[in-house]
Amino acid sequence: MMALVLSLLLALATGIGPEDFDRPEALAIVHLFALGWLAQVMLGALVQFVPVLAARPLAFSRLALPALLTSSFGTLALAGGFLSLDGYDIARPFFLLGPVALGLSFAMLAVMILSTLITRQTLRLPEVRMVIVALAGLAGLWLSGAAMVSTLTGSRLAVDISQALPLHMLFGIGGFLTFAACGVSYKLFAMFLLAPEAASWQRRAVFALAALMAGLMMTGLVMLAGAGSVAPLLIGVCGISLAGCALYLDDVRRLWRARRRPTPELNMSCSRVALAFLALSVLLLPFAIWQGGALARASVFAALVGWLSTLTLAQMIRITAFLTWIQIFAPLIGRRKVPVVQSLTHPRRAGPALTIWSLSAGIGTLSLATGFHAGFRLALCGLLIAATQILCELVAIRCLSHLAPPERPARLPPLILPSLMNPPHSAENQI
Amino acid sequence: MTDLAAGLEQTLRRVVDPETGRDLIAMGMIYEARIAGTCAHVTMTTTTRGCPLTEMLRLGVEAALLAMAGIETAEVRLTWDPAWTPERMEPLSL
Repeated sequence: MMALVLSLLLALATGIGPEDFDRPEALAIVHLFALGWLAQVMLGALVQFVPVLAARPLAFSRLALPALLTSSFGTLALAGGFLSLDGYDIARPFFLLGPVALGLSFAMLAVMILSTLITRQTLRLPEVRMVIVALAGLAGLWLSGAAMVSTLTGSRLAVDISQALPLHMLFGIGGFLTFAACGVSYKLFAMFLLAPEAASWQRRAVFALAALMAGLMMTGLVMLAGAGSVAPLLIGVCGISLAGCALYLDDVRRLWRARRRPTPELNMSCSRVALAFLALSVLLLPFAIWQGGALARASVFAALVGWLSTLTLAQMIRITAFLTWIQIFAPLIGRRKVPVVQSLTHPRRAGPALTIWSLSAGIGTLSLATGFHAGFRLALCGLLIAATQILCELVAIRCLSHLAPPERPARLPPLILPSLMNPPHSAENQI
Repeated sequence: MTDLAAGLEQTLRRVVDPETGRDLIAMGMIYEARIAGTCAHVTMTTTTRGCPLTEMLRLGVEAALLAMAGIETAEVRLTWDPAWTPERMEPLSL
């Protein structure tokens, strides 16, 4: 969340407009947003969620903190390193250090996630396979990114940036973040909607298409090293994205219709908005690939801000409440009356913030598509206001501010969530 | 229904799933519950096998059973065979 607020503040402070995304400071901010906010939160969610997917404890859980610290350092180093392209030579060593630290962090996280996920039983599940394909996407993201940093720093290992950049963005947004979000969302949506979890033919087809798309992009990576053109592969990726997105949305619609929770909660209502942005970004993808420019920027913005960030923010509020509930009230189950998880949240406060976020994401996408500078700046203001409100709401949840005073423990939990591997606080001592 | 059996159902209906606010019987998470002498036996499940609340729910049921008059020991067993599905939930009363 800090990276999210910081990247929005910097975007406003540096005066970035729709035409400025080639500027080094814009590249720094985009990486702060994509890596510091989205990739970190997705990897954190995977670490938290793969034990649920695999129904076994997280392997090598001691690596979680070093991975988080290394990843944070790598993101800051890379973001700072981009400034060396603007003539700040002092930032140049950081430009090279960033990918090294990020690679180390991704490797640690991959070891934790794969060691937990890969068993004979779990590999049958399409959602588990999706997460594994997403990790392949993360590897592709890193390799293409590291190759471009190597090129920009004048190393002998150089690639054609115009070929590498679309591949890098497709690896990051599609191959890693979207595949991981889809894999996790199948289980998460079924849990929150109280819908049957059974794998459908659509889910198996989405996995097959995701694997095919990852294979095509990996081929593109090899062609990049051989100085070949990746354009034909991008057309294939585009077609697969359209088909995969349609099947995924149809599968989620099936879950929604089969739900046993009569009134979906705020996190699920907002997830529907996020899914609409997914459809929009994928529909813009053919134009992005063939025309580039404004429509490419709009497609990327719709995906990063509208789809992935809206989904993450909506679920983050709910999951923070759930983890806080476990920490405080789980030891009291069966011993005394306990509040429900929903009572830790305040939908009338979180709802408007998520609405402002979604509207701003829409205005931002439209402004980028049309090159409307003032509209884009307005969207950034809206996003910052919404992110700040959501951050305040997360603090309120951790402080149990929405609970009636008699239900609150005498001692509040720490603001930063501890690992669930540690035993929860003894609530009997607190209430 | 004997008093003890009725007490067992009442006890289990006081243990609530924190996600839905519904008790474990209404959620269809209790597969078997019986009393043999002074020992209560319960076989239960969770909505998903990897649920982070699994062990805490089991301990909660155990604590609730041990608080029942006439019960000295409680045996709470978890199973995911058959797996829980939403169809196991009692219909919502309107």
